[in-house]
Amino acid sequence: MEQEVIVEQKEIVEQEDFVVQMRGISKVYPNGIAANKDVDFLLRRGEIHAIMGENGAGKSTLMKILFGLEQPTSGEILINGQSVAITSPNKAISLGIGMVHQHFMLVPSLTVAENIVLGMAPTTKSRFLIDFKKAVQIAEENAARYNLRIDPNAKVIDIPVGMKQKVEILKALVRGAKILILDEPTAVLTTQETSELFKELIALKEQGFTIIFISHKLKEIKQITDRLTIMRGGRSMGVYNTADISEKEISRLMVGRDVVLKVVKDKSQPTETVLKVRDLEYTNRWNKKMLDKVSFSVRKGEILGIAGVEGNGQRELVEMLFNLNTPDAGTVTVCGESIVNLSQDKIRNRGVSLVPEDRMTYGIADIASIEENVISDRFGNKRFNKGPLFNMREIHHESQNLIVDYRILAKSPKQQVKMLSGGNIQKVVVARELSSMPTLLIADQPTRGIDVGATEFIRNEIVELSRGGTAVLLVSADLNEVIELSDSLIVMYGGKIVGYFEDSSQLDDLTMGEYMLGLKHQTEEEIAKVSYE
Amino acid sequence: MIGDLLLSIFNSDFLYSVIRITAPILFAALGAVIAEKAGVVNIGLEGIMMISALFGVLFGYWTQSWLVGVIGALVIGVLLALLIGFFAFELKTDIILGGIAVNMLGAGGTIFLLDMFTGMRGNTGALVTRELLIPTVDIPLIQSIPYLGQVLSGHSVLTYLAFLLVWLIWVVLYKTPLGLNIRAVGENPNAATSIGVSVQKIQYIAIGLSGAMAGLGGAFMSMYYSQGWNSGMVAGRGFIALAATAMGRGEPVGTMLSSLLFGLAQALRTKVSGMQGVSSYLVSVIPYLVTIIGLVLYAISIKNKLKKRHAVTEGAE
Amino acid sequence: MSDRRLIVFNLLRGVAAISLALAVAAIFIFISSDEPLTALKYLLVGPVVSFKATGNVFNTTSFLTILAAMIPTIFSGLAVCVMFSANQFNLGGEGAIMLGGFVGALLGIYLDLNTGLHQVVCVLAGAVAGGLIMLIPAILKVKLGASEMVTSLMMNYVVMFVILHFLNFVFADRSKGATQTFPFLETARIPEIISNGTKLTWGFVVALIFVVIIALFMYRTKWGYAIRMIGINQSFAQYSGMQVGTVIILSQVIGGMLSGMGGSIEVLGRFSTFLWRELPGYGWLGITIAILAKNNPIFVPFAAFFIAYLNKGCNLMATYSDVPSEMIDIIQAAIFLFFAAEQFLAKYRQRIVVRNAQRDLALQETAASQGGINS
Repeated sequence: MEQEVIVEQKEIVEQEDFVVQMRGISKVYPNGIAANKDVDFLLRRGEIHAIMGENGAGKSTLMKILFGLEQPTSGEILINGQSVAITSPNKAISLGIGMVHQHFMLVPSLTVAENIVLGMAPTTKSRFLIDFKKAVQIAEENAARYNLRIDPNAKVIDIPVGMKQKVEILKALVRGAKILILDEPTAVLTTQETSELFKELIALKEQGFTIIFISHKLKEIKQITDRLTIMRGGRSMGVYNTADISEKEISRLMVGRDVVLKVVKDKSQPTETVLKVRDLEYTNRWNKKMLDKVSFSVRKGEILGIAGVEGNGQRELVEMLFNLNTPDAGTVTVCGESIVNLSQDKIRNRGVSLVPEDRMTYGIADIASIEENVISDRFGNKRFNKGPLFNMREIHHESQNLIVDYRILAKSPKQQVKMLSGGNIQKVVVARELSSMPTLLIADQPTRGIDVGATEFIRNEIVELSRGGTAVLLVSADLNEVIELSDSLIVMYGGKIVGYFEDSSQLDDLTMGEYMLGLKHQTEEEIAKVSYE
Repeated sequence: MIGDLLLSIFNSDFLYSVIRITAPILFAALGAVIAEKAGVVNIGLEGIMMISALFGVLFGYWTQSWLVGVIGALVIGVLLALLIGFFAFELKTDIILGGIAVNMLGAGGTIFLLDMFTGMRGNTGALVTRELLIPTVDIPLIQSIPYLGQVLSGHSVLTYLAFLLVWLIWVVLYKTPLGLNIRAVGENPNAATSIGVSVQKIQYIAIGLSGAMAGLGGAFMSMYYSQGWNSGMVAGRGFIALAATAMGRGEPVGTMLSSLLFGLAQALRTKVSGMQGVSSYLVSVIPYLVTIIGLVLYAISIKNKLKKRHAVTEGAE
Repeated sequence: MSDRRLIVFNLLRGVAAISLALAVAAIFIFISSDEPLTALKYLLVGPVVSFKATGNVFNTTSFLTILAAMIPTIFSGLAVCVMFSANQFNLGGEGAIMLGGFVGALLGIYLDLNTGLHQVVCVLAGAVAGGLIMLIPAILKVKLGASEMVTSLMMNYVVMFVILHFLNFVFADRSKGATQTFPFLETARIPEIISNGTKLTWGFVVALIFVVIIALFMYRTKWGYAIRMIGINQSFAQYSGMQVGTVIILSQVIGGMLSGMGGSIEVLGRFSTFLWRELPGYGWLGITIAILAKNNPIFVPFAAFFIAYLNKGCNLMATYSDVPSEMIDIIQAAIFLFFAAEQFLAKYRQRIVVRNAQRDLALQETAASQGGINS
């Protein structure tokens, strides 16, 4: 299979006009993680080329290298046939490469026009002052030429997400980009905004631009791209004509069901309801409704999964459940008691624990030791204190046990957490959150970006916990994970629950995809089934 | 007594002194404004003012030109600020600690340097002659207006420059490409990087400019205000400037207003301390208390604004 | 345990920073002095050596005065360690020290107690005053988000002027030419350990006891733990269920109490009346010391000794040569900059880290199956 791919690529090389050739690219980060392994990436002039892969497959790293944000450990890059060293974004821009990042790189208090001309602002004859009229003119002209509708005088803080993305695209085009890298551009967009974006992208293609489209959404890829490169585990799985490859095949290559980590678990035997969320609403400060009357329940002994493309309200939901943010309306109860606006201390005392999505921000104190990290939720317990002092023997005992039980690979409990690998850092978080024997565990992207061994281990631990009687709410953008691990599953789209599936084992990617992309939704009665008392 | 006080406040001499006292604070505060806009905390303003004040006098004396003295002070200010920048940006010293280090240099290092260069102890004594002071100017038309002329005319060149700089810095920040870059870097450095604007370069420029401002403030102190350099002369003005900036919400005009408030409080102290039965020490507390109160009010207003914003979104449903 | 290599590296790095700072000082001395070698001699060895015609001998008295000079700076260094550990850039140590000294002095003058109890009451009152004054920036920070750095700086001046007011108008001893209070009662004075005029009082012992107490507090109690975790990652601390606001206030109050205690001990031990007419400067010294000690209380006495030694050296240098004593500020600033520079010699550290990481990876591969600890 792999040989075929190589043969195919060689043929292509001899015939085609490539605008970008990345050959044998490898990237090893200082922490030892190899994000790209001998990747070849060839981009034809004037095509829309998808780079597909799951989170952590190495797509972003490859594109960061192309845009000069990272330097490859080895490999060669040719632009228009010329070998180049792309040492900085500046260099990339001068080579005609523009990138639209997943997280917008805009300055909120500046206007749209100011953002577009930032760093290349037109000046009046004095050459000292900005020519604001000219700036607006540049913005408007380009907007018209590429048919990207924007309001040049609005402040970026006040405009909707879809327009922000157009501003990002314009920023690149104004700087003379001929090759556009779009990093998961639809992740933050509504359906209408997405289809609008696609029209605009096709128009750009017709004007001769080359577009790299990073995504893991099959439907979109099929809809808009000419060719696609699939990545998995840092390697390229080959390049294909979009028309010639079936969604099934893409899915197989991308998620690699052949190596998928099957989670072995008995059928769940849920008992009483632990978590009850009712009519939760939240509008963020950019006036986007992130949660719209969200209601569901989680019972003892079951794992309820929340699937969905990122940015559809999952993060906000988790924030509300742990008082990292306050809902506008609605109730959240754990075992019948409201936990809205309770301090984290009190929430934890009610038996709730959280494996946070962003482990470096919430999960750990990076320069503290493993020991100090695993006791952060329990250091006040009587068991760990003797009078005013810590009972160090108990603390050592506890951390030793957790390190062994959760197979944290470390030199000693005193080792700084930041010196560990990603998987082991996550095990530190999981060790703390699971060992407190919670009534309710919220696991938000529990295995994101970590190695296979750690992933498998963590998933098994979660199953074991739930079978021991803990209610588990699993939030995951990893389709495989959410289907494999959950007993039942809800899908979030646009801040709403659009589907409830009582038995996740019956589900397949394609059905899920339709719900996650908002192509399908269930009736309110069907969805209401997840809100048992 | 209150009546006397009121009378003396509306006295033209008093208002004249408010402007005079405000100028050095304003210089440093404007420096803090530029730095803050670029996301840089420069708490070394105090030390920079001290050292620049000394070098202003020295350069002036060596060249027998007040102008060279002022320019020298400015250059020294820039160099010191760049030193803080170098340690903060290249060697990753916490920028607050870098600023504190420069303040140490300002406190004792200046005495050492003065001794090293001139053999004098603690103050510059006879180095500053009348000709070496920053000259004052009478403004042609305004000076003949009664009252207003006495308040606004006859200040030093640098005093006028300080207020002119409020406008100039506003223009730079809001009307020039550099200002656009500075604001972008301060608000979202990633945005700047993504389109090839070097965050570090902009931050160097910003902290350098802030050093230039503090340098001018120092020159003002030694070459006009105190008519010579002495070891306790800056007396926390660099810190007050930070407070004025915070209170002025980091905007040039707001910062000018809060600087004037501090100027007023200090002038009041000078005024009142001459009066019977008034403790000059307690009056001295006023500017610092005003700062704290100002910061508190500012913090409350921000809190309310956030609340209001939330209320608006709720109301919209 | 290859982490040991990192510790050794950090030590060497500290030595390099100090050497570099001293080199800067030497350059200045060579530029400014006619007798640079004499100046350097007094700076570097003068504090502990008497130069006599018969030979050089260890100067015990001088050594003891260095220890005496450490008393207030150990306290202020500890105070900064606690506050900076919580990532609170509170610079109000100066004011808290002066206030603690003043309150201690007043009680020493006007309170009538038995010796022993009297000192304890005075010092505790100084500590309480210092703690209370720090409540202001701390509460403003937690409740309103006002920068503790700016408010604490302003508080220093408020405290100073208010004290000067009381010193001049309420408590002044009019019989004296200079502005000062009446003398402390004999019962309130903190006596020297050995009566020899070095001012090495029992305060030094108390300071060392507090080094141990604060070290225990920071590394062996739940509060110290919470302070350190908040300092490293506040979001993590909050998510873990710590009372972040309370602990932030606590850290600054403790900083204030230590400062106030240092102030009162210094005043009651070194002087016979209260005569500080400006901020004493120990607060800033405390910052230098905490930086040198890397916020670890155990290292504070060593850092305080180093600074006191340099200070003494600079004074001697000023006395016996033509270099002014303010040299100390230049040396301090240079140490400060290099010591706090994360990236100073970072290349070498990176090399060690990479080497360790590579070895770990190899280790990991062999041990991956069984997991657990490999020590």
